[in-house]
Amino acid sequence: MVSIIVRKEITEMLRDGRVPWCGGIVLALLAMAFLAGWARHRELSQQHRTAQEATRRHWLTQGQKNPHSAAHYGIYAFKPKLPMAILDTGTEPFTGVAVWLEAHKQNEFKYRPAQDATMLARFGELTAATVLQLLIPLLLVIMTFGAFAGEREQGTLRQLMSVGVPARTLALGKALGLMAGLAVYLVPAAVLGAGALVFASGAEEGAASLPRALWLAAAYSLYFLTFGAIGLAVSAWVRSPRLALVCLLGFWIFNSLVAPRAAVDVSKKLHPTPTSFDFAETIAADLAGADGHGTSSERAKRLEEQTLKQYGVTKLADLPVSFAGISLQAGEEHGNQVFDRRYGELWRSFEQQNRFREWAGLIAPLLAVRPVSMAMSGTDSAQHRHFAVAAEAYRRDLNRRMNDELRDHGKGKDYGHLVGDDFWKEIPAFEYTAPSVSWVLDRQQLPLLVLAMWTLVALSACYWATTRLRVE
Amino acid sequence: MLEAIALTKSYGAQTALHPLDLKIDRGEVYCLLGANGAGKTTTINLFLNFVEPTSGAAKIAGLDVATQSLESKKHVAYIPETVMLYRNLTGLENLEYFTALSGLEKYSEAQLRGFLRSAGLPKDAEDKRVGAYSKGMRQKVGIAIAMAKKAGALLLDEPTSGLDPKASNEFSELLKRMSGEGVAILMATHDLFRAKECGTRVGIMKQGRMVASLSTSEIGHADLERLYLQHMHD
Repeated sequence: MVSIIVRKEITEMLRDGRVPWCGGIVLALLAMAFLAGWARHRELSQQHRTAQEATRRHWLTQGQKNPHSAAHYGIYAFKPKLPMAILDTGTEPFTGVAVWLEAHKQNEFKYRPAQDATMLARFGELTAATVLQLLIPLLLVIMTFGAFAGEREQGTLRQLMSVGVPARTLALGKALGLMAGLAVYLVPAAVLGAGALVFASGAEEGAASLPRALWLAAAYSLYFLTFGAIGLAVSAWVRSPRLALVCLLGFWIFNSLVAPRAAVDVSKKLHPTPTSFDFAETIAADLAGADGHGTSSERAKRLEEQTLKQYGVTKLADLPVSFAGISLQAGEEHGNQVFDRRYGELWRSFEQQNRFREWAGLIAPLLAVRPVSMAMSGTDSAQHRHFAVAAEAYRRDLNRRMNDELRDHGKGKDYGHLVGDDFWKEIPAFEYTAPSVSWVLDRQQLPLLVLAMWTLVALSACYWATTRLRVE
Repeated sequence: MLEAIALTKSYGAQTALHPLDLKIDRGEVYCLLGANGAGKTTTINLFLNFVEPTSGAAKIAGLDVATQSLESKKHVAYIPETVMLYRNLTGLENLEYFTALSGLEKYSEAQLRGFLRSAGLPKDAEDKRVGAYSKGMRQKVGIAIAMAKKAGALLLDEPTSGLDPKASNEFSELLKRMSGEGVAILMATHDLFRAKECGTRVGIMKQGRMVASLSTSEIGHADLERLYLQHMHD
């Protein structure tokens, strides 16, 4: 009996122009988003590869130079783009993907497309994630609002109930019909997406993305199931299809426009972060000013005394090493403490903001699916931080190597000590490996749990409303 | 086959149906007469379990419709004033769907077409979408659904209102044929002539009460009309 209902639902859906049209548009947008994502991915990873090679080449061929000058010369580190980033650009347009690693300073990231974008960027780029998060729920609203309420208004529900169909069977048939209808659009989209993934990155890297892709698919499936079940529940519960549509559109607007905006604003109120300018000021003040170890001139004096004592000499000129190297490294270490404290505070605030938004998923499922989507695409703020930490570790190692070279071989010459290409070669290139899927999953437990809870609540509501189906 | 036992329905302080006792046996055609709001449709809705009785019970084939809702519906077919169908499906597809969902018999396409034909649907309409049907054609699909169900009881809610005289007459013939086959029929109608013509008994309802119930063989058409009007004027 269920299969008969499913077949009838699909026939009706196909014959009623609305669903094929809307679904077709959504599918076309999704295909466009994939193509655009693929093109963007190819272009950007090409650019990054070229730039990464260039920065290494410049480093290796910088010629005769003082090690500290080389540290100032610095290198660029580029966050590699995972193929999954085709789907969801996540926070990258705002956080940037490249950082300049130089002496004395932990820099902020550069190349933030959002900086150069117009106001339109507020509405977000057309990515597959936008379509999946906003437009498919809208399609589901259009597909479900009339499921029961429409039949109730047309009177066919009366006819149907008079022949003795169990309401639960009817609901199951409609739910399966809905899924089959949605599959008509999503299966080709998934094939297209997988194709884009493999095309953008080659079969091997594409296959490596599989666990991430599967988790992403699972999260979106729960999200769609939630919307479908809410749609059926409301359609079964309210009297008229018009009222069902109003309720569902209201929920859709709340979920896609109101809640995300509000969650961002409230999270920023609760866990404020300094502006970029204030943050730079604070760091500059910390670096120059007094800390627990006194002012910078006091620190310099103490370092001098310590070094003389360590080497058992009385004058800096008698040191067997270059004091410039020691002093520079001490400066680095002082700076690193400041960076660790200030960046630590900043990241903590970001994490608290994120955590708040994840909890806010309890009122809007979009806020639960979004972090999972970004995380599986490798574009969330946790993976941004993972990269930033790796880049900073490389910067510190690079500076230490430069300062050690100066200290050990620069006696008497200090800043006049020059080294050449042979030394540059000893410095390993910056290599970065993105975290594993289990690392990512570990940080997505809350949103996944919230998402599963939404699905459960929506399915229960659907069950409850359909077993109490009223004929009029 | 159809039985009401002190069947009552109230909405708050307002009583839509005062305790009604009614028994319709196989082969009987019981016509409910009365003005709009007299309780005819309420009675039929109670038999279909579309509304819950305040007290008393409605039974179909001995099954209480409130407690054995799905089971009782296997024995009854229903034709409302306007048969509502899926406008994007054809007449044949509608018949197939409703018949399949009653879950009683599995018919071949030829058999289904046969039901449509004996209900009087023009042959070329069978494969047209119902959206383009006239009211009479929808009614005929409804009749075909009822016939295909081969139910022991038939509930009709003003099924002929808005039909042209020919279609209306064909419908009467159909009722006679079905009652001849032993179907118990309860029909709400405004059509006194039709009631006298094909009913075996008539009941006159007024403000939720059955005010008169008599056999059509006891009374002529003119007398029935007089009796009806007399009750309406009281």
